[in-house]
Amino acid sequence: MKTRNSAFNRIFTFLVFLFLYAPILVLIVFSFNEGNSNTVWTGFSLNWYKELFQDRLIMRSVYTTLLVSLLATVISTFAGTFAAIGFYNLRRKKRAVLNTINNIPMMNADIVTGVAMCLFFVAFFGLWSSFAEWINSVQTLVQLPERLTLGFGTLLIAHISFNIPYVILSVSPKLRQMDKNLVDAAMDLGCTWMQAFWKVILPEIKPGIVSGALTAFTMSVDDFIISYFTAGSSSSTLAMTIYGMTKKRVTPEINAISTLLFVTVLLLLVITNIREARQEQLALRRRKIPTVTAAEAARYDKPNRFRGVPKYVGAAAVAVLLVGTVVVAGRNAGQPVVNVCSWGEYIDESLITQFEEETGILVNYQTAESNEALYSLLKSGAGDYDVIVPSDYMISQLIEEDMLEKLDYRNIPNFEQIADRFKNLPYDPNNEYTVPYMWGTVGIIYNTTLVDKPITSWEVMFSDEYAGNVLMFRNSRDAMATALLCLGYDLNTTDEMKLREAQQLLVDAKKRGVYQSFVMDEIYGKMEGGNAAIGAYYAGDFLSMRDNNEDLAFVIPDEGSNWFVDAMCVLKDAPHKEEAEAWINFIASKEANLANMDFIWYASPNEEALEEYPAYYEAEYEEALDQETFEIIAAPQETLDRCQMYVVLPAETRALYTKLWTELGI
Amino acid sequence: MSKELIRLQDVCMAFDDELVLDHINLYIKDKEFLTLLGPSGCGKTTTLRIIGGFMTPTSGDVLFDGVRINDIPPYQRQINTVFQKYALFPHLNVYENIAFGLRMQRRPDPKDPTGKRKIRIPEDEIHQRVMEMLEVINLKGFEHRKPDALSGGQQQRVAIARALVNRPKVLLLDEPLAALDLKLRKDMQIELKRIQQQVGITFIFVTHDQEEALTMSDTVVVMNKGTIQQIGTPEDIYNEPKNAFVADFIGESNIIDGVMVRDNYVKMYGREFYCLDSGFAPNEPVDVVIRPEDIDIVPVEQGQITGTVTTVTFKGMQYDIIVDFKGFKWLIQTTDYSPVGARIGIKLDPDSIHVMKKSEYSGMFGDYSSFSEEYDELDDASTGSDEEGNGDET
Repeated sequence: MKTRNSAFNRIFTFLVFLFLYAPILVLIVFSFNEGNSNTVWTGFSLNWYKELFQDRLIMRSVYTTLLVSLLATVISTFAGTFAAIGFYNLRRKKRAVLNTINNIPMMNADIVTGVAMCLFFVAFFGLWSSFAEWINSVQTLVQLPERLTLGFGTLLIAHISFNIPYVILSVSPKLRQMDKNLVDAAMDLGCTWMQAFWKVILPEIKPGIVSGALTAFTMSVDDFIISYFTAGSSSSTLAMTIYGMTKKRVTPEINAISTLLFVTVLLLLVITNIREARQEQLALRRRKIPTVTAAEAARYDKPNRFRGVPKYVGAAAVAVLLVGTVVVAGRNAGQPVVNVCSWGEYIDESLITQFEEETGILVNYQTAESNEALYSLLKSGAGDYDVIVPSDYMISQLIEEDMLEKLDYRNIPNFEQIADRFKNLPYDPNNEYTVPYMWGTVGIIYNTTLVDKPITSWEVMFSDEYAGNVLMFRNSRDAMATALLCLGYDLNTTDEMKLREAQQLLVDAKKRGVYQSFVMDEIYGKMEGGNAAIGAYYAGDFLSMRDNNEDLAFVIPDEGSNWFVDAMCVLKDAPHKEEAEAWINFIASKEANLANMDFIWYASPNEEALEEYPAYYEAEYEEALDQETFEIIAAPQETLDRCQMYVVLPAETRALYTKLWTELGI
Repeated sequence: MSKELIRLQDVCMAFDDELVLDHINLYIKDKEFLTLLGPSGCGKTTTLRIIGGFMTPTSGDVLFDGVRINDIPPYQRQINTVFQKYALFPHLNVYENIAFGLRMQRRPDPKDPTGKRKIRIPEDEIHQRVMEMLEVINLKGFEHRKPDALSGGQQQRVAIARALVNRPKVLLLDEPLAALDLKLRKDMQIELKRIQQQVGITFIFVTHDQEEALTMSDTVVVMNKGTIQQIGTPEDIYNEPKNAFVADFIGESNIIDGVMVRDNYVKMYGREFYCLDSGFAPNEPVDVVIRPEDIDIVPVEQGQITGTVTTVTFKGMQYDIIVDFKGFKWLIQTTDYSPVGARIGIKLDPDSIHVMKKSEYSGMFGDYSSFSEEYDELDDASTGSDEEGNGDET
């Protein structure tokens, strides 16, 4: 009975560990995969790691992560240690209360901490700007910056604040274990309190301080959620960058960086735990009154000449590291920057490096999920970007709400190269605010192995035929448009009855289980992996997906569809307008447009680039671009004639959209 | 004895409105061995910490050589302390522990005529003085050991050396022997007394162990509930306790209600006894103290009073027997065995009777009805350490 029981236990334990570690193990194994699949092993290779170190976005976020973690660790260790000493000197009741208060932030959901900090910072910035304005208006001696934004500073403050409780938690027990009379003894022997702190308290609680610092560092490196809400547009930690990369699909490169992150955190934890175990042993030895044997005594009697050496080496290493990071940080401080917010996988990243090298302007490149998400980010005050790339209808809305800055086209000579048909479009009739970035169409993507007859109508998005295998947009404008088109209505309609009818169509289909899920960029993984049969999405993204799954096909249904232009604009009062215009000009060039077109398969508004693209493709890949693919990228005029652009809807219709979308309950 | 060194004048100490010391008046002479004796929470450690400078009294003055030192921090007083559980610095070896105070010291540079420039004590002098102390405490050859590689007694001696190496005028000792086992404690009592005589300075010693106090002290200060109950030589305290608390706390005592009929005659159990005490009002109610070892057991017919043996405990040197005299139980220590249930008589010599004025403690002590429990308490008290020092309260 007993043996069976223990065998059962062993199997159970094994299963638990398998359950815990299998996902990470798979991730680690596939980070060494030669091919770019996450399911098929094609051979061992370190290529993804090599690529990692050449990816400037990743390397920059590694640097940001290290810098913020190190600084936050040092500052929070310092503050936390003295706070712990303060707690320790309080009377027991007050101390218990404070300890509880100290523990709450650690228990608190990160998302709550993150959102709270974000709101706090934004609120503070508001107060600050009125204060600074007033100060600047009453005197001329000191000019305070009137506009503060989320960025490295707020990220650092957030990290410090969530680290401090961990330091306190780790230092407090060491203080309690310490003989309370030690400080008295030191003072009795001629020390002031400060001398007693350095000579007696510090050596006693050092193990606690070190493990507190290690924990803080681990937490900082580890953190995603709080950073996400407090980093603003100009900084991105490693975890945030990984998250941004996973929006489309998990590449082996992500596996590689995740493996490195996992190993780093694991190492830190191992070091912390070994240290703690050793301390415990030492404490145990101290507690019992020792009976010392002659051999042991001899060992104790030997003076250790080298004791001091590692201490200085360690201190020197920390000092060098700190000075190093600060120096590197300082080097970047004076550099001009531009904060760009675009969409996921919507640029050839080598263009960023090229721009930085040519102009010396640092680009902070971030992405948003959808126009609606970008809009709420801007409204919340957290999205303090210089350049954004919204779609047509969103641009009208932003202009209407006076959120965009007029451009100085003298600084953007490449605007001349934009084809006339993409100028003066309805969203910006006098072309004062925008320079088109890319354009494209919306259509239905389907997997030909799962769908046997050709698709010609939007009805397929609402019928039971492929129930459970259909992917619908997770943004109100696009999702409603599919329903409106299916019903034969104008996709810019403001008729409440028609809109309600369209919404009912979505509601019914959702109820009947037609949709596998509502998605944005997650559609990549699902369609490429053959996990869904049908999904509505953008033409350029379809071509990217087809690279990874040849069975996919694309159609613009007979009822027509939406065609869109994404254009670059500068936000009102952007702090780096000059740099922003330089960036826009650079991106509008023929070369940049060709590179982008080749990378993301969207159509360029640059006349020459669009014309030259087939030749560019042939030169690059040594094979001709087939006409069909080119027409998916850049829909021919007769297709565009079937399509319509979104126009901005009146406020009451927008409110109705929001209401209907909320009712749908996504 | 010589001149007065330390004086406490009307010293009060309150923590959160709780009065821990209530108007303490005490003077301590130079080179004397003075013991503050009392149960847990009586204020003895607080008194010591005030003298050491670790606390400032709520009111009252502390004078050192006639100078008020209330606000002088510990590191500027010519006083050093041996702490409960020694408080040796765990990260320093024996040598560095002892040298700690010397390394902190600064003294005027002899080369500087203004005397303003301060210098450290030279390393060779530190070495010499530390080695000297190691000799005094018999721990030569242990210089490089860490405290956790020493036995309790050795740690104790290092703690004393660490304090004495600074050549203080006063050494404060806060229950220094509490953590040692009985045998070691006895040895250290003698050792401490020897060291005190060798270095010739004032020792102020805190303990809850009355035997320790009687063995080592020149003067014993008995404290309870923040007030001084009695100050005197060990003999005075033992033979002439001022009230029931002192009588009970110092040694074993039977305390009986009596009436002082007139000088030299005290009445208890309805019978007058001749005694050596006088100076009470006629028929004043009093407490009568009779030490258990001063009672002679005699046959019933010769006894001044008679009672029944209820408990007998063998103690090695003597028997502890509890005898019921009309419902009040006495402890008698005797070498003669009497079986449980036997009726015996007792005889009291005049000098074995000590009469005390009634006090707030009257009726609280001296009855051995709950004999065994009281013994347990005593055992606890001698092994457990004084809670006062563990000071979350302080």
